[in-house]
Amino acid sequence: MRDSESWSSPDDRPDGRRADQPAAQGQQPGPGGDLGALLARVARGDLAAFEAVYNGVVGQVFGLVRSVLRDPAQAEEVAQEVLLEVWRTASRFDSSRGSGTAWVMTLAHRRAVDRVRSRQASAERELRASSPDISYDVVAETVEARLDAERVRKCLGALTDLQRESITLAYFGGYTYREVAGLLEVAVGTVKTRMRDGLIRLRDCLGVDW
Amino acid sequence: MKIRRTDPHTLLGAHALDALTGTERARFDRHLGVCESCRQEARGLQEATARLAAPAVTRPPDLLRERVLAAAARTRQLPPLTRVTSAWPGRRWGMAIACGLFAVALAFGGIAIDRQHDLSQEQAHTRAIAAVLNAPDATIMTAQAITGGKATVVMSHRDHALVFTAARLPALPSSRRYELWLMGARGAQPEGMLPTAHQGMTAPVVVNGLAAGDQVGLTVEPAGGAKHPTSRPILLLPLPF
Repeated sequence: MRDSESWSSPDDRPDGRRADQPAAQGQQPGPGGDLGALLARVARGDLAAFEAVYNGVVGQVFGLVRSVLRDPAQAEEVAQEVLLEVWRTASRFDSSRGSGTAWVMTLAHRRAVDRVRSRQASAERELRASSPDISYDVVAETVEARLDAERVRKCLGALTDLQRESITLAYFGGYTYREVAGLLEVAVGTVKTRMRDGLIRLRDCLGVDW
Repeated sequence: MKIRRTDPHTLLGAHALDALTGTERARFDRHLGVCESCRQEARGLQEATARLAAPAVTRPPDLLRERVLAAAARTRQLPPLTRVTSAWPGRRWGMAIACGLFAVALAFGGIAIDRQHDLSQEQAHTRAIAAVLNAPDATIMTAQAITGGKATVVMSHRDHALVFTAARLPALPSSRRYELWLMGARGAQPEGMLPTAHQGMTAPVVVNGLAAGDQVGLTVEPAGGAKHPTSRPILLLPLPF
């Protein structure tokens, strides 16, 4: 149940810590906002900037990793690794190659997927339901985050079923495109194509800057 | 019926979704290195993919924050990669020299390659080398072998690839050859035998699929090659990740 508690505003945090952290406050980027400038400061060892980055991405990182891994304890471990990786490798972020959010989320997804695939041989994988869990007990903290979530749902809804299923099985299920083809019982080539044209449609629907 | 090679561009969506296997990803990243329009499309798809997590936002456990911040405070950060394109002229010269060196090595090595392989394979090899050397983040490193001689490595962090060449390594008896390895968390992976040197210089070898923590190692092995190193490396170069 804890997951469905909601924070209606940052000040409602149960631990009340936010108010003691002026350095991080006011710089917190919205979930869709960009982190590039903060990451440049993190690269120079600025812990306050790192805390602001943490605040900006942790909900998405943890949510994504948990969707892929299912197991909350493992998700916590991987989320911690991802966030520490952001701190450790911030100097490798290059704003000319993409947004800060994309950089962090790519790190998070790759790590979650690597973890899933490394235990692939185990029976656990077999037991995972074939459809990914994206009926989140989700807690969008801010109005902005809620709007972002709504927009993504709307744009996913505008895709064909095959596009949407191919994308969500790969992204939230951590499956390779060949595995997705097997699950959906369609040709491998079809899945590759649907992933690509689905993402193109999603990109245009979301009005992503790139 | 003709068997056609798969058009790598069809993998752009699967790549953005991390739905490729490790080898496919490495091969695709290599292709991205030489395909500007693919890089552009990949970037847009990556941005779109990153937004997918928005509806999955979940409140993390309270303790995570403290653990992460405490761990960060005691974790050393990686230095930035030094760019070949930086304003520091010394780097550029270093790179120009390295490129020249590889060109020479390739020319010498080419003679040997020509006899054994068909032309398309050789061209693919040359293209793979060019991709690493031309990568915007190409970094050049050198290392001395303990037996004498020197290796030059150009690495692209982005492409997870490097080009290795060696000069003035001691000549070996015909029963022995130099073997290249990636040594890291996954153990030692054989990356092929060094081509026989011509005028002291070996033709470049491309190594793909680099992972954090890997080191490039060189050992002396039986001429047929070994699956695991049978002797202590004469050269070990940690890769900056």
